[in-house]
Amino acid sequence: MPTECEPGQTLPEMTIPVTATLVAGGAIATRDWSLVHHDTAAAEAAGTQDIFMNILTTNGLIGRFVTDWAGPQAELTDVSIRLGAPNFPGDTFSVTGTVSEFDEESASALIEVTGTNGIGTHASGHVRVALQGRKR
Amino acid sequence: MTVTTEPKIDPEGASRRIAELIAAGRARHYRARDRVSTATINTLLDVLGDRNPVYTDEAAAKQHGHDSVIAPATSLQVWTMNCLGEEATASPVDAAYDILRDCGFPSVVAVNSEQHYDRPIVPGDLISSTETVEELSELKQTGLGPGMFITTLFVFRDEEGDQVGTMRFRTLWYAAGQKKED
Repeated sequence: MPTECEPGQTLPEMTIPVTATLVAGGAIATRDWSLVHHDTAAAEAAGTQDIFMNILTTNGLIGRFVTDWAGPQAELTDVSIRLGAPNFPGDTFSVTGTVSEFDEESASALIEVTGTNGIGTHASGHVRVALQGRKR
Repeated sequence: MTVTTEPKIDPEGASRRIAELIAAGRARHYRARDRVSTATINTLLDVLGDRNPVYTDEAAAKQHGHDSVIAPATSLQVWTMNCLGEEATASPVDAAYDILRDCGFPSVVAVNSEQHYDRPIVPGDLISSTETVEELSELKQTGLGPGMFITTLFVFRDEEGDQVGTMRFRTLWYAAGQKKED
């Protein structure tokens, strides 16, 4: 578990099979009842090939990617992502990350993250994490 | 030969009407039906495959400075999502989206989400959200067609009214099929 890190350091890649269970289950677990995330016929009627992952699930996976590396003492303070190619069932979602800044005083790291699938970039952006948590 | 009709878009109208809406300062207020619970947290963790012990193990959470187990930070928006079958309450954000459709930008794509977490959300919290329209861009020529970017701001609070986090959400509303050809 890193208590400090250096710009340029990379995080272990996270690879997740995108299943219908992950897409539909993620939508319901994040309380997002939009039909395009769990109803194939509704998704097709909306012009997409299949149901696709909702943003809240993507955020959850990006958060997990960083805390899996940073450990239980760490606390996320910001997650900012730009959205791109949808995550459809049958695809694979791979997330990579690189430390771009580290502030020694607050032990806060800025991680640039990129999540790709078979179509292209699903999500990219940055996560700010307090590696030793936040003082309360 | 393809003949394209002049796009019937009205970015000036959208700018004026949404500026009025922003100036009116109205917000959509929503209070979660249910308190944050370990059941909902655990279901979410199962789906995400997240095994961070601060979400499930009281002792681990205390060891790392929390009073109890906490919810994943990225669950910020989960607690105030509409329940199944619940009618959405009137929102200035929906009104702004209606204006954009009305002004010739019927297609939408989510562009980005920026979340900031002020403190961890914990079981027992009752979360409320306030949603406002923050900003509308000028007309942009995008890869999808001419469009306008709109940013909304969510502020999430606990029962005491203390802020637990914020989210900026940006969508692009565009006129499909009016792409400029080279």
